[in-house]
Amino acid sequence: MLSLQHISKFYQAGGTRNFVINDISLEVEAGEFISIMGPSGSGKSTLLNIIGMLDEPSSGYHYFAGETVHQLKDKQRSALYKKFIGFVFQAYHLIDELTVYENIETPLIYQDFKSAERKAMVADMLDRFQIVGKKDLFPAQLSGGQQQLVGIARALIAGPKLLLADEPTGNLNSKQGEEIMQLFKKLNKEDGVTIIQVTHSEKNAEYGSRIINLLDGRIESSKQL
Amino acid sequence: MIKNYLKIAWRNLVKNKVHTFINVVGLSLGMAVVMLISLWIYDELSYDKYFPSYDHIVQVMQHQTINHNTITQVDIPIPLGAKLRQDYGQDFKYIVLSTYTDQHTISHEDKKLNHSGKFMQAQAPDLLTLKMIRGNRSGLSDPSSIMLSSSLAKAMFGNADPMNQLIKIDNTLNVKVTGVYEDMPQNTSFNDVAFIAPWDLFMTTFPYLKRAATQWGNNSWELFAQMNPGVDVNKVSADIKYAKLRSILAQGDKIGASFNPVLFLNPMSRWHLYSAYFNGVNIGGKIEFVWMFGVIGLFVLILACINFMNLSTARSEKRAKEVGVRKTLGSDRKQLIGQFYTESLLMSSLAFAISLILVQLALPWFNQVADKQLVILWDAPVFWIIAIICSLLTGIMAGSYPALYLSSFKPVKVLKGAFNAGPYAKLPRKVLVVLQFTVSITLIIGTVVIFRQVQFTKNRPVGYGREGLIQAQLRTDVIHKHFDAIKYDLLKSGAITNIAESNSPLTGVWQRESGLSWRNKPAGLQDDFGIIPVSFDFGKTVNWKVIDGRDFSKEFITDSSGIILNESAARFMNFSHPVGETVKKDGRNYKIIGVVKDLVMASPYERVTPTIFFIIDFPGNIVSIRINPNISTHDAIAKINAIFQQYDPDSPFDYQFTDSEYAKKFDDEERTGKLAGFFTILAIFISCLGLFGMASFMAEQRTKEIGIRKVLGASVFSLWQLMSQEFVVLVSISILIAIPTAYYFMHNWIRHYYYQAALSWWIFVITALGGLLITLVTVSYQGIKSALTNPVKSLRNE
Repeated sequence: MLSLQHISKFYQAGGTRNFVINDISLEVEAGEFISIMGPSGSGKSTLLNIIGMLDEPSSGYHYFAGETVHQLKDKQRSALYKKFIGFVFQAYHLIDELTVYENIETPLIYQDFKSAERKAMVADMLDRFQIVGKKDLFPAQLSGGQQQLVGIARALIAGPKLLLADEPTGNLNSKQGEEIMQLFKKLNKEDGVTIIQVTHSEKNAEYGSRIINLLDGRIESSKQL
Repeated sequence: MIKNYLKIAWRNLVKNKVHTFINVVGLSLGMAVVMLISLWIYDELSYDKYFPSYDHIVQVMQHQTINHNTITQVDIPIPLGAKLRQDYGQDFKYIVLSTYTDQHTISHEDKKLNHSGKFMQAQAPDLLTLKMIRGNRSGLSDPSSIMLSSSLAKAMFGNADPMNQLIKIDNTLNVKVTGVYEDMPQNTSFNDVAFIAPWDLFMTTFPYLKRAATQWGNNSWELFAQMNPGVDVNKVSADIKYAKLRSILAQGDKIGASFNPVLFLNPMSRWHLYSAYFNGVNIGGKIEFVWMFGVIGLFVLILACINFMNLSTARSEKRAKEVGVRKTLGSDRKQLIGQFYTESLLMSSLAFAISLILVQLALPWFNQVADKQLVILWDAPVFWIIAIICSLLTGIMAGSYPALYLSSFKPVKVLKGAFNAGPYAKLPRKVLVVLQFTVSITLIIGTVVIFRQVQFTKNRPVGYGREGLIQAQLRTDVIHKHFDAIKYDLLKSGAITNIAESNSPLTGVWQRESGLSWRNKPAGLQDDFGIIPVSFDFGKTVNWKVIDGRDFSKEFITDSSGIILNESAARFMNFSHPVGETVKKDGRNYKIIGVVKDLVMASPYERVTPTIFFIIDFPGNIVSIRINPNISTHDAIAKINAIFQQYDPDSPFDYQFTDSEYAKKFDDEERTGKLAGFFTILAIFISCLGLFGMASFMAEQRTKEIGIRKVLGASVFSLWQLMSQEFVVLVSISILIAIPTAYYFMHNWIRHYYYQAALSWWIFVITALGGLLITLVTVSYQGIKSALTNPVKSLRNE
């Protein structure tokens, strides 16, 4: 479903190029659960952002769901992104002014779903994540684990094919982290959602089907589990 | 979508109470000011539009030139009316001669009322298209008739039928009510005309009017006209230009012709707003105030909008995360712009609602200061349409910068937490603060200069004793006939110390003449003197200061042909020793017996007119009375009233205090000063609100920095300095821009006054210091508050 070929990302610093991503090629099949690992500064998050079209590579070819991403205009890219991708962040990034319900609903508004449809979809999602009782609370009233749960619910609400997660458990304690990982695994297995996560934790990485290790912007190793 | 926008907008407003308060209060004050000013401007621009023939009504006016100095006047001679009718009759529908609007005593049986009115030719009601409540517009064709305004009719007759009732004007003229017209509104040139009586009746009142009816040089009347439809006013105005000059030459009046009278038609649309002339050229008039207040109102609104933009961008760091998240959730830039606009529009709608309340509360006060009767036009759709469009525009104007700026954030950057707006992002904010304070400080300087000019002129020595002096207008000669007896009784009662008659009040010069001659008068010098006939005790009553020669005295029989000059007259005649010299007027010689210090009788802002005081030999218009300082004014007036009533029971004793009459001369300038002061205070307040908001956000942003500095040992004072210095620098820049700007404008303004207060350097210094002080007080609260915070607290948040 996704193919990166000779992707590089660099910054011009004086006469030299500073590579963050250096000639990475990567194929991802539908239904995979990939963990990207590597030390700080190895380019994990940048790679994830490029996959998620939040960032643009300096060079290389990017194909996603049959589209040639590197040739698309901003608007088309945005439409593609809206349709297929959900994002989960380390710091949850919920909107403080919105309730749990409204946070989950927001992507649907941007995708022009009708009010009645939205209601049904959000209700379904709340039910599935067992947070119906918390729907009218604001993010500040929730624990970290609960907030991340809402963040994932929000990422999944529009039914994405690809879920991107940037250290989703980084701000959580080990028990909360484990619950999130169980959830990811279940999503991958039962709902067929393709997942790519960035993580520091060996243990969490092993929930996936493939582990990719990055070092200085290159793929150091790739291991099928 | 909209519902979602509104919800978020509302929650943001509620969540950030300080921010919302500053924005909403600032904006609603701005809007209230704009609304007040708009109502005022609307009222000014609709002046006289009450009259259906607004577009066709004109007043005949003239320019006359005296010593190369052209003056423009509404005053015209009586024969001009007939002349225009005869030679240019086809251009005019109506031509109406009129007296000035004067106070007269109107009485019916026992009821006596003093009201102002005009004697006008019979077509006046048609010319003005008066709205008749009783009778019809031909009511003045009978020479012994009178038409009353509805309020005067009501005051006179209550609910009884006023038609055909008998009325006396000034106790001498018997007239019959032939019509009642709707009061002409406040914003018309005839708002104080409570009655109209026939011109022909007026012409029978004084013998001298028979002569005046043929004199081309006696300019003491007004002439109104209505053009025929389709006639070009400018063309007719050019046609009649020399009508008076030709007639004067035909009469052989060389002196009159030397003034080079040039006639013109002044359309009604220019009466109120364009009434100022300088050397024969129109230089605007009240229209300048329309512009001035319009600009001030716009500025105050812009200041409030600047607050909004500044506070919103200052908060951008906080909103940046939200923008980033929304973008990753699939929001377009357009949708974000929509969201931010919704917020600013919600804010401006809220502000608009509050401003309506503020205006309603402020109107009574504003009307009093501005001397208007403005009301919010609740039932006029136009008002609402304009008001709503304006508040939408305000919302869009105020919301544009944050909407366009915030929505442009790149999600990757802001979500990484590496968001740093950089030095250039703060620049617009700084420019806006500088702009705000430049406007405020310019307004402060302007207001101070206006007030100082008024104060300075008020303190101008007037040359006589103003306090304890009253003046009363005489409308019949009864008082004059019994003058000595009245004086005797008044002195005996202890109410007064002196009383005198004159032909002008101390607060005006009612008679001016030229063509006087004296020894060594240069050939061709045109003279224009104030002529004031007075009784012997005038000087002693008003306490003028004789600086050469002596005062009038009954002990000298020859004083009936003696005159006293004011300093300006003595200077004009250029005598080294004026006393003993002779002045010739109307073929009679008068001997100068004294010179007095200039009396400020006309405009206190202008040069004193060269004036000559004669001994009065006919009934005066005015009595001036010096109240005995040893008894209370109230008692004195009661006693004076009783004695006047005893001698002249048919006229109400109608008096004014000279000092309050004099004070009226400052009304216009004081009004301007008060309004400008009011707007200035609002401008400063709004600017300070903005500054306060900015300071609190700065403090919030720098919490960590301040914590670290404190841990490193910084004192509270040095932290306060750190927090304040940026604002002090910005305000200092404003001061540097504002001072030359204000100097330029105020220098131009004050040039119009002959008697002017200097633009002293200290005005600028004090304003600058005041501006800095206000700034420090405003920003210090936040500075000191954050400097006193325990660093452990602020660092723990990280």
